[in-house]
Amino acid sequence: MNIINPAHDPQDVTRTLFQDFSTWMTVSFYVVAITAIAVFAYGVWMQIAKYRRGAPDRGWKMLGHRFMTMLKEVFSQRTVRRRDKPAGHAHALIFFGFVLLFIGTSIITLDYDITGPLLGLNFWHGSFYLWFSLVLDFAGLALIAGLLFMMYRRGWLRPPKLDYARPDRNPDEPDYNRSQYRIEDWAFLWTLVIIALTGFVLAAARMVWLHADPLVWDYRWWSPVATVLAYAFKGVGLTADGGEILRLYTWWFHGILALAFIAVIPYTKAMHMLTAAGSLMFRDPLAAQRLPTVPEEAVQVGYEKVTDFSWKHLLNLDACTKCGRCHEACPAATVGLPLSPRDLVLSLREFANESQWPKLLGGDPSKQVVHGDGVNQIRPETLWACRTCMACVEICPVGIEHVPMIVQMRRHLVEEGEMDPLLQGTLQNIQKKGNSFGENKRKRARWAKDLDFEIKDARKEPVDMLWFVGDYASFDPRNQKVSQRFARILTEAGVDFGILHDGEQNAGNDVRRVGEEGLYEMLAENNIEALNGASFQSIITTDPHSYNTIRNEYPDFGARFAIEHYSSLLDRLIAQGRLSFPKTLNYRVTYHDPCHLGRFNRGFDAPRNIIRALGLDLVEMQRSGDNSFCCGAGGGRIWQADPVGVEKPSENRMHEAAQIEGLEVFVVACPKDVTMFEDALKTAGYEGRFVVKELIELVYEALGHEKREREAADVA
Amino acid sequence: MKILVPIKQVATLDEDFELRDDGRDVDPDYFDKDLNEWDEYSVEEALLIKEASSSDVEVIVVTVGPDDADEALRKCLAKGADRAVRVWDDALEESDSLAIARVLARVAEKESPDMVFAGTQSSDAAYSSTGVALAAFLDWPHAAVVSKLDYAVGADKAVFHRELEGGLLEEGEIQCPCVLTIQLGINAPRYASLRGIKQAKSKQLDELSLDDLGLSASDVGAQGSASRVRRVFVPEKGQAELIGGTAAEQAERLARIIKEMRGM
Ligand code: SF4
Ligand code: SF4
Repeated sequence: MNIINPAHDPQDVTRTLFQDFSTWMTVSFYVVAITAIAVFAYGVWMQIAKYRRGAPDRGWKMLGHRFMTMLKEVFSQRTVRRRDKPAGHAHALIFFGFVLLFIGTSIITLDYDITGPLLGLNFWHGSFYLWFSLVLDFAGLALIAGLLFMMYRRGWLRPPKLDYARPDRNPDEPDYNRSQYRIEDWAFLWTLVIIALTGFVLAAARMVWLHADPLVWDYRWWSPVATVLAYAFKGVGLTADGGEILRLYTWWFHGILALAFIAVIPYTKAMHMLTAAGSLMFRDPLAAQRLPTVPEEAVQVGYEKVTDFSWKHLLNLDACTKCGRCHEACPAATVGLPLSPRDLVLSLREFANESQWPKLLGGDPSKQVVHGDGVNQIRPETLWACRTCMACVEICPVGIEHVPMIVQMRRHLVEEGEMDPLLQGTLQNIQKKGNSFGENKRKRARWAKDLDFEIKDARKEPVDMLWFVGDYASFDPRNQKVSQRFARILTEAGVDFGILHDGEQNAGNDVRRVGEEGLYEMLAENNIEALNGASFQSIITTDPHSYNTIRNEYPDFGARFAIEHYSSLLDRLIAQGRLSFPKTLNYRVTYHDPCHLGRFNRGFDAPRNIIRALGLDLVEMQRSGDNSFCCGAGGGRIWQADPVGVEKPSENRMHEAAQIEGLEVFVVACPKDVTMFEDALKTAGYEGRFVVKELIELVYEALGHEKREREAADVA
Repeated sequence: MKILVPIKQVATLDEDFELRDDGRDVDPDYFDKDLNEWDEYSVEEALLIKEASSSDVEVIVVTVGPDDADEALRKCLAKGADRAVRVWDDALEESDSLAIARVLARVAEKESPDMVFAGTQSSDAAYSSTGVALAAFLDWPHAAVVSKLDYAVGADKAVFHRELEGGLLEEGEIQCPCVLTIQLGINAPRYASLRGIKQAKSKQLDELSLDDLGLSASDVGAQGSASRVRRVFVPEKGQAELIGGTAAEQAERLARIIKEMRGM
């Protein structure tokens, strides 16, 4: 089918640009356009200059692959939809609408200003033009629909994550007030809506003006929305002459507003169009799991000044869209501790800008140190409130790496010696004794003495599996019981295993996340040496924290070991029939994903498979899987006291679990979780309602051991 | 301006330990060594004054001890002390606090500091006398157990608080230079990172012998001391016992104890 009337020359089926414009008008338009582009370019240049002040980053490798991944993320809009579908879909409408309109405008410019005059090549006419009109008409409609939903969301739905309430400042402090942002958010929406609406008015006015021209009017339905609007204009009595005037004024209004929008992109929220793409492109998929190493010869460690930040982290700061997803997921912000990953990023962004801009433009280049009490500076209590639980990094739609930034800033505090006395004591214990309990090294394997069999010393005889026990499971009395049960389970399943006895030290995961890199290096080196001195096929660990650092961070120290968490091993043993359960447990349980097993290393399935194999009735909490809510122990927080009078993250979690009707057991798979939640169970007032158990304990119970033990005790 | 801070590397005991064959000390296999807790505070106090001052302040840490005491000095250097001095000679073995103070006094005369901050006591021997004896040798005024200090670099007087019995505080002023022995809690000591300790290896650490200080072997050691440890021992176990377990178990244990005591 030919969509062009044979009576018409396809060359004539187009839109005449600057139709009936005098020369001065056309020239003025070009002056405005070029100025807008210059302002835009200056802004982009300033931002790039800002990133270039940053330290190097290892992100330049595999650029092609990075670029493709970024395109996939951007065009699938996957990250924007996560945990907020409606907003994600609305954003997709805006995004695709905007992209198509942008491409459309670029095509016109290409045809009119470049290929036309330079090569004599014009293609913006005929059927291409018609399809083009149709697509852009819908793009405009999509854009408006998306924007209207966003307005409805901000104005009526008002999700709390968008209210900019800051937990890290008091209302009377100068940088508490974020109303500036709110104004900007609305200005952004309104500007785009007005640009899109005036685009339609303009097209409709042109149609009314030129309705006598069959080259325009016969093809009107290729712009359906504009056409409907044109009928409406005619309906209210707009004449051709009126249409001409309306078209002229709207043309200028629309044109100038659109150009002004382009000009301010690098200075406003709109900047995320560029920075988010850059941030996603250079994102490190293991940003929280594998922290940056410090070169041995480095004189200075961590982030003290803006210029110590890697250029990527500076770019990250500008990518934040203030979507609040991280703020909502953060355990510290949730319970009202003085940290919100969003506000941290925004404060640093403002600070970086201020330190970059010349005095003339409101900057203050003398401000360089990001730590402190001043406006937009980061306070130590903010940094220490972080549990490095990765909830922020995991959900951030634009790939911002809060955790390494926070740890880098902590590294500076550690070098300055500024930290909680309790934490100092623990670090000193670890320095001296290799464990956080301050116990003698020789006592590490004492828990194994109560078993009726010997656990092999992997340093002395070869074993299949080396069990890396970890501090809590070795020294904490409650967790020692779990360790003993695990040893029995392994023996029952016929696994050939051993431990390092007093050769094992704290694996260093949390020491590193505190920011004590020197101590971490020492621990990693000592453990690697001990592991290299033992003979085994693979490592198994009951401690998700050790699991993470041995798996993801030891390779940076030249040691690659096959390691798994006990849950995947047990899952396999059950599947192979090497563990069978004479007893079915029928408790109603819920399962808490430990950060370092779940979010960090995506071990979501194995524990659930085991739970199902035991016959338990698993009811999930609202926040589970990748959205699991941290127990509050991470990042060395288990070695510090939480402030009194503030709810603990672990208590918050208990309240969530308690909503499950008839809950009997709160199942965990991490020794630190046992400690944190058993404590919170009491302080939150649920003692007697349900209990906290390690998954190992349930497996052990289902093996029928508990009963046998009780019988043995009764006989005695 | 100089502040001299005498420090000590102390022994921290393990839960289980054994005594040395001569019974006069713990077997060194059973203790770790660390910077004396009180000295963390005296060093911190000197560093705070240094950091608050606009003029140059040099903080010098000094210890009397064998080469492994360098570890304690390095910790102080990592925290920010400018340089360290360690005095040792085998003749110093067996010195009491008086003999040690005699050595420190010579170091002080050599360095001529504006202030000396010592820890109130050491956590292992706990005589609380080295700092005070040092003041006596120097013939300087001193204040002991200082829990708050108000001192500006170059001032000829310092104002301090001391803790007395019954929660009472004494506020006093003292002529400078002087020796102050510093109490726990006067400040919040900073952490010495492992990296910092490693990097402190590049800071100046002088080793002095008795000769360098114009002392002879008879000034120190057992000969130069006024007191001597005869033996250390663990007192007989007391008769207290915490009974655990279920109510039934507790009752049973109690019954057995009563029977034992009545010789049944
Ligand atoms: S890592 Fe966890 S605690 Fe830290 S800022 Fe992110 S969400 Fe909050
Ligand atoms: S940091 Fe990321 S998740 Fe947090 S508000 Fe900014 S864009 Fe959203």
